[in-house]
Amino acid sequence: MQGDSFFEWLMTTPWAKAMNGPEWAFPVVESLHFIGLALSVGTIAIVDLRLLGIAMVRQSSSELAADLDIWTRIGLALMLITGPLMFSANAVNYHHNPSLQFKMACLSLALVFHFTMHRRATHPTTPSLLAKFAGLVSLALWICVVAGGRMIAFV
Amino acid sequence: MNTVSTLEWVERTNLSTAIREGALLYPIIGGFHVLAIALFGGMLVMTDLRLLGWAMQRRTVSEILEPFRMWKRAGFVLVASSGLLLAWAEPLKLYRSTSFWVKVALLASVGVHALVFRNGVYQNAKALDARLTPRAKLAAALSLILWAGLVVTGRLIAFDA
Repeated sequence: MQGDSFFEWLMTTPWAKAMNGPEWAFPVVESLHFIGLALSVGTIAIVDLRLLGIAMVRQSSSELAADLDIWTRIGLALMLITGPLMFSANAVNYHHNPSLQFKMACLSLALVFHFTMHRRATHPTTPSLLAKFAGLVSLALWICVVAGGRMIAFV
Repeated sequence: MNTVSTLEWVERTNLSTAIREGALLYPIIGGFHVLAIALFGGMLVMTDLRLLGWAMQRRTVSEILEPFRMWKRAGFVLVASSGLLLAWAEPLKLYRSTSFWVKVALLASVGVHALVFRNGVYQNAKALDARLTPRAKLAAALSLILWAGLVVTGRLIAFDA
């Protein structure tokens, strides 16, 4: 198809070839993606539950977010390395996959939201209703990212 | 009745057929499984990292472990029950998958881990506030390794024949 040349090229890159090489390469990278998921979305969800006022209420949102931030970033880094690796392995098919397109749209929103409004919502001066709203939006966006990711294999 | 015929019976149950052959049920349950991994896994990893003394050190061990406990339990129930449903859908495939049996062995090890470390470490957080014992660090390291192994074997199942 016209316009696929970039994605065809991606599949010829050394890392794509490595992904398509040994049988264990893809599942191992996918497992790292899942561990990154637990670290990134897992720690973001903890902050979201705190913003909603239903978990870790003895700590302030700002302290919790500050303590978890480095682990969220490590998890996100792991995701943003392993995700494109898997994508490269079969880029032409993946880029036409509606679940992947949905996931990428949600991921862009989720990342922008995370580093702007979500971060601001953890400040002690944020009104409680606004903090709750931010927690809810963040949870919803990340659930969409995960659900979209899970559906890639099924469409 | 031998094992294979029992598993064939499982596959003929309405629930198994519905999950296996329905277009949406399998991915939805799979989605719950993954979301629960994110929630439960995140808290589990942070608990163990705190026990290792690598994360959230501004707070005492008990201040981290105790509020996470209920959420970890709920997450575990969600992971385990959705996993059981996925297994119910294709028991014969799993029976023949090496990765599945490694995963079962790891799950059994998680049970042993709980028996060995629950009283001394996870239910004993207050005592660890004063000093992180080597036993607590060992428990945390083993827990991280076991759960990473469960993720890897879970993923490998999909790639076994």
